[in-house]
Amino acid sequence: MPFKSVFIAVVLGTALIVAAFLVHARRPAVERNQPTAALAEATGKCAECHRRETSAIVVEFEQSKHAARGVNCLDCHHPADGQPSTDHNGFVIAKALTAKNCAGCHAGEYDQFSRSRHAAPAWASVNGAKDFTPEQLALGERYHPTWVNRAPMSIGAIEGASAITSGCNACHAIGKPNADGSFGSCTSCHSRHLASLELAREPSTCGQCHMGPDHSQIEIFDESKHGALFAAQRSQMNLAADPKRLTTRDMPVPTCATCHMSGLEGAKVTHDTTERLSWFLFAPVSTKRPGYERGQTEMKEICLKCHTRPRIDEFYGRAEQVVAATNEKVQAAVAVVATLRRDGLVTPQPFDELVEFAEFDLWHYYGRTAKHGAFMGGADFVQWHGNYEILRQRVTIDEEAAQIRAGHPKPDGGGAPQAPADPTKPTAPPAK
Amino acid sequence: MRLPNWTPARCLEWFVVANLAFLGVDIFVAHTENAFRDSAEWVPVIFSALAPLLLLPGATHVGPPRVVRVLDLAVGASAIAVGVLGMVFHLRSAFFLERTLQSLVYSAPFIAPLSYVGVGLLLLLVRLEPSSSRDFGAWILLLALGGFAGNLGLSLFDHAQNDFHSPLEWIPVFAAAFACSFYLVALVGRERLMLRWSFGVCAVEAVVGVAGFALHVVEDAHKPAQSLAARFVHGAPAFAPLLFADLALLAAIGLWSMLTRDEAPLG
Repeated sequence: MPFKSVFIAVVLGTALIVAAFLVHARRPAVERNQPTAALAEATGKCAECHRRETSAIVVEFEQSKHAARGVNCLDCHHPADGQPSTDHNGFVIAKALTAKNCAGCHAGEYDQFSRSRHAAPAWASVNGAKDFTPEQLALGERYHPTWVNRAPMSIGAIEGASAITSGCNACHAIGKPNADGSFGSCTSCHSRHLASLELAREPSTCGQCHMGPDHSQIEIFDESKHGALFAAQRSQMNLAADPKRLTTRDMPVPTCATCHMSGLEGAKVTHDTTERLSWFLFAPVSTKRPGYERGQTEMKEICLKCHTRPRIDEFYGRAEQVVAATNEKVQAAVAVVATLRRDGLVTPQPFDELVEFAEFDLWHYYGRTAKHGAFMGGADFVQWHGNYEILRQRVTIDEEAAQIRAGHPKPDGGGAPQAPADPTKPTAPPAK
Repeated sequence: MRLPNWTPARCLEWFVVANLAFLGVDIFVAHTENAFRDSAEWVPVIFSALAPLLLLPGATHVGPPRVVRVLDLAVGASAIAVGVLGMVFHLRSAFFLERTLQSLVYSAPFIAPLSYVGVGLLLLLVRLEPSSSRDFGAWILLLALGGFAGNLGLSLFDHAQNDFHSPLEWIPVFAAAFACSFYLVALVGRERLMLRWSFGVCAVEAVVGVAGFALHVVEDAHKPAQSLAARFVHGAPAFAPLLFADLALLAAIGLWSMLTRDEAPLG
């Protein structure tokens, strides 16, 4: 009886098994803690191919908080309800990801986003209401009456589809209605595989769309004291701080997100970027938002982290004076062109006469710039990029009107820019 | 053509032919998952299609012995080269990028190409070592032992990919570990009773292999995929567990040879 041999064989076999357990235990906990076999397999299996194809997305994912917390490729890429799927090398994944995939874990954030102007109104302002389901339309109209159930912007038909697709919609797709019932994609601000909170708090992220003459928020921010402080102290800031524990130690100077979204020192965090706003500054003639009082109160709570209340009230008072003054100037200029239309001296078609461009530029570029400058501390934008240009456009409109009435319209626009921008619903010249 | 009487050596020759042929099928399925991304992935498939044909004269005793011997040795050496290069290529898929345990788990199965090395060595063995020698069977058992060591790694790393979600996935790890330990002791001690006990281990390994094949097929049959072929190409490798039965057969041939040549005392 070879007991010695059997004993040695059993000891060796057991030792090998223990070694196997020890090797297995040294694998990353992220992989070992997945609830299903497919999920456990996904991270490494996906990376095995994607390190060779689109290797950057693997690196980005590995740097993300999602990876650190055990979120798996399939957690995001598996098809949500209503999403078409495809078989991808043994894994069933969604053909395209939308905000609905993120909402599986970030439902509260998505609900806030879906109520915001970043959702349905952003898409409707360019494309009108035709792409929305009745449910999406109802949700958008509930929070933004008349800003979703509307016609496409008229200049799109003149400029052509390519200008809209590669131009306007590159930004306005943040609120694109998806077939699964959701709006847009969170990746517009957070990026895809990095899923970065830090990126969303960077002013330059907002500035990808909130820039240029028609909504020059990033230029105003950069010129403001806020922007100068941010540039100076960026390296000392912790833009990746947990939203629910964010303090002024993390963000001693504000970014766009600080004022409009962040829950600084216990304040409510929101993905509804319109929640703390009090005026419809983008409109030709600005009016108070329905939640004016609440919005202003909530914004001032954030201002109080750095400024005293009298200083804040004074700042708001001055800004509202700019709004009132700009409204008067816009109304007066619009009245000049409206009178021409009433008298049959300009055609009913939009954007076919220079005086219409001058009118449009007056409020759409310079009126907005003056108002945004006033609320964001951009003095130069209130004056030289705002009121000065309003004055010049007004003179142009008056000269154009005089020449039209004299029966001799000028051959050029007298300084009116060649490329008009977003003529949203209230901006289109009224029909005769 | 006259089939020889079945001896350990003759069994080994046919074992090599059958394994080389079957490896081609197995690798074709495995590399289909990768859509033959690299043209080098066709090399083992083509080699496995040609090599059995080249070995047939030797296995069937047709042709001049000198030519057959040279041909077999060339095929054996080529199989070793294919296996070693295959292992390097497999490690290049992920492991060489980071050299971590994680990347080792998710690299192409780096041990798998070594099956060519094993088959090539068996071929050299059958042509270079007299089957009447005392060590002939021991060499076979040693190569079977190497195969089970590879199986230990394969079943550990492959099942680690899905984190051993079913406890059954540990069975091949246990089976391979005990195959390694029993065959090692049998090889070193050469005690007749231990050699006979090792036949029992062979039977257990064969059962594990067939059961694993069945479990993989059942798993694949229920896997969500667009086609039946996709289920098997991207699912659990159906043929992989059969390596346990295959190596059990090889070990049994080695043990058979050892028992008929060795004159070791019982117990």
